[in-house]
Amino acid sequence: MKELVQLLANGVVSGSIIALAAVGISLVYGILRIVNFAHGDYLAFGAFAALLVNVTWGGSMVLATVFAVLATAALSIALELVLWRPMRRKGAGVFTLFVTGIGLALVLRHLLFLVATAEQRRYDVDVFQVYDIGGIRLSQSQLIGVGLSLVSLLLIALLLARSSIGKAMRAVSDDVDLAAIAGVNVDRIVLFTWILAGALAGLGGVLAGLLQSAFDPNVGFVLLLPVFAAVVLGGIGSAYGALVGGVGLGIAMELSTWDALAGGLSPVWKPVVAFAVLTAVLLFRPQGLFGRAATL
Amino acid sequence: MSALTSLDFWAFVGVIAGIYTIFALGLQVQFGFTGLMNFGHVAFMAISAYTMAILVVKVGLPLGLAALAAVVAGILFGLVVGLPSLRLRADYFAITTIAFAEIVRHVALNWDALTGGSQGTIALAGPLQAASYNTAWVDFQTRVGGWLSPILGEDPNKDLVMLFIVWAAALVLLVLVQYVIKSPWGRVLKAVREDEDAAAALGKNVFSYKLQSLALGAGLGAVAGLFYAFQFSFFSPNDFEPLTTFFAWTIVILGGTARNWAVPVGAVIFGIIFAGTRFFEFAPFTLFDSPERAYLRLVIIGLILIALMAFRPQGLLGKREDLVFE
Amino acid sequence: MSSATALLEVRDVAKRFGGLRAVDGASLDVARGSITALIGPNGAGKTTLFNLVAGHYRPERGTVRFDGRSIGGRPPHAVAGAGLVRTFQHARALTRLTVLENMLLAAPAQPGERFWRLFVTPGAVRRRERTIEARASELLRLVRLEPLAHDYAGSLSGGQRKLLEFARGLMREPEMIMLDEPMAGVNPTLGLELLELMRSLRASRGLTFLMIEHDLEVVMGVSDEVHVMNQGRVIASGPPETIRRDPQVIDAYLGTHGGAPPEPVEGPV
Repeated sequence: MKELVQLLANGVVSGSIIALAAVGISLVYGILRIVNFAHGDYLAFGAFAALLVNVTWGGSMVLATVFAVLATAALSIALELVLWRPMRRKGAGVFTLFVTGIGLALVLRHLLFLVATAEQRRYDVDVFQVYDIGGIRLSQSQLIGVGLSLVSLLLIALLLARSSIGKAMRAVSDDVDLAAIAGVNVDRIVLFTWILAGALAGLGGVLAGLLQSAFDPNVGFVLLLPVFAAVVLGGIGSAYGALVGGVGLGIAMELSTWDALAGGLSPVWKPVVAFAVLTAVLLFRPQGLFGRAATL
Repeated sequence: MSALTSLDFWAFVGVIAGIYTIFALGLQVQFGFTGLMNFGHVAFMAISAYTMAILVVKVGLPLGLAALAAVVAGILFGLVVGLPSLRLRADYFAITTIAFAEIVRHVALNWDALTGGSQGTIALAGPLQAASYNTAWVDFQTRVGGWLSPILGEDPNKDLVMLFIVWAAALVLLVLVQYVIKSPWGRVLKAVREDEDAAAALGKNVFSYKLQSLALGAGLGAVAGLFYAFQFSFFSPNDFEPLTTFFAWTIVILGGTARNWAVPVGAVIFGIIFAGTRFFEFAPFTLFDSPERAYLRLVIIGLILIALMAFRPQGLLGKREDLVFE
Repeated sequence: MSSATALLEVRDVAKRFGGLRAVDGASLDVARGSITALIGPNGAGKTTLFNLVAGHYRPERGTVRFDGRSIGGRPPHAVAGAGLVRTFQHARALTRLTVLENMLLAAPAQPGERFWRLFVTPGAVRRRERTIEARASELLRLVRLEPLAHDYAGSLSGGQRKLLEFARGLMREPEMIMLDEPMAGVNPTLGLELLELMRSLRASRGLTFLMIEHDLEVVMGVSDEVHVMNQGRVIASGPPETIRRDPQVIDAYLGTHGGAPPEPVEGPV
């Protein structure tokens, strides 16, 4: 029983980070109907931006995280203005944008490799500090990770539900033509969405780097497929769904190692669990938990 | 500089180009002719290579039979992937295919007893036994070398013989695909690509044809996997990462997605960029160390993909009107 | 209209899109060997009904029977396979195939469409290809598209694409064709020839036609029976003269045309 609760807690922690990236992808998909294959590398960018501040310049993790969030948001803006928007203006369709995302992913990731090498990195934090909360053991990194993620996700949820810009985002997501007629500045909303997605990716990258004992420029790409699985599980186009899907997938991946379940799987199979979930959802309930059936 | 003029080097580039021609041809059938966005193509290569190696090393099957079984396994996996996922929208189908390919790679990585795990086929059995599929191939290669001695001279260079075999196979397959595409069957594939609803309204079972196209492409990918295994002797799961599929896509797009014969051209260009830059021992390439040159190569390939999508989506040889996608 | 002669029987089909009841319990019969028209104001649900019959949508309730067999809910290719072909309101020419390829695609029983036949019986494939090429050329000549046979279908005008769809449908050698606004975008002279073609095909091959048409003069002149749809239901069925005078029909059209459907055109049609 105790092991189950521990696994659940671990699952919530890792799931909340998956959720950060998943919500970012979902927001972009909702507005632009494209799957940004480079999103994982936005995360990696964030992780390394924080590394620059924390390790190279000796700054605190707090400073590093803030910097990472801002830097990734800036990257996101730059790419929207330089790449995505011009492609859309040219009438690029699903295939073209998907391949563009793949090309971008290759460029970003290997530029990071060029600059930072394949050396395994870690942040300058105390990894040994562990807290015991009611029998569950969580490291300082895990607590920070889940805390920051859930707070950010809550803020995003509030933004979407209550603010006027959130309403505008939902309007554009539902029907871009109608929204434009209703006076929404679609370009501005698109840009704002990219800023949010970039910020979430930046934060997600730092937290992912924190949680792993060490990371390299592949840190984002390795997460990308579980993130897609979370998006699909939650429902394509639903940001709330991505949240639930992310946490749910994190839990599923952790639970797969539980030895009460026929001995449990070795942790190496966790990615396969994620892919299997992705496939199963697409087979049996393609619209996911909260998605709109029509989009598929 | 001497490497550039060495026969061995160019033979190697040629073999890679030949393997990628066959590999990318499979993608050409699936995407160029049927509109299927398969981004997990490397899975068929992996399944085929591993099936062949396991059947020879662990089961003791003769090479020819094992190779045949490997291609069948690749085709069957194509059906396994297609059945649940072909009804999805294009980019979600693409992601699902990547997921399937990653499952294959992870299984190969972690099921040590079956596949040798992260070490690859060298760990399939004891050292002598593990090499058995390769020694069987070398025997075959030597025999072919004998047949070719009128052209290539006595005891011809092993790489040259390999080059010949791979490109002979590539040529046969190119002709085969051309025949099949120009046929009524190929016509249905093209109709499915153009407008599924119209094709269905004319009595065509769209799902079945997509599955057939996926299977044919998978078979071609499987053949490429066999040659990969023979060329590199031992292989491991690292050889079958999503990157390989992206390379094939680059080739298909580079050549122009609507044309069969552009595939070998794209493959050769790609082979030169890829293998060639490894050996450029002069500035500015000497500014970078070897691992960095590898990263640079991938940055360049990424930029090529973006540039193609932005400025010349019909590829180098394609015509604007033939553009297969929007 | 006894069901013994009805080739197509639609009973109480319905389809909703979100809150909109596009088809809300529609029923009609199409007699074998007839030219039947389906008319009604815009938004009445005519094309949705076509889509339900053709298998593009599943009916939420009701039955569709073709030639005695149930086809309701079966997929489009199965419906086409049963002998019922449809054309689309916005002609769906396969743009990057040539006009001729469009036609050849529609030919039934081309063994070459099965992969294994390409290798096992290539001779039979070639022979059938020659036969259907001849037939395709003949049909293209009928619709005046023969000179464009080797052009990409994408280069055709809207009206020409409509004609291609019509010819392509005939190529399939169906029992019945459902035409969605076959005259739209087609020049009037050619339109009249199409109607004549329909009549002669009905006479020579017993082909059955069901068409959605907005040009009521045409409809009244050539149809054996007319069904009128409004708000998702068939509100009237009968010969053209009866329909013209039906008060419900006049009501339905009052909103759009402000008067009764016009007098039929008698003449060299």
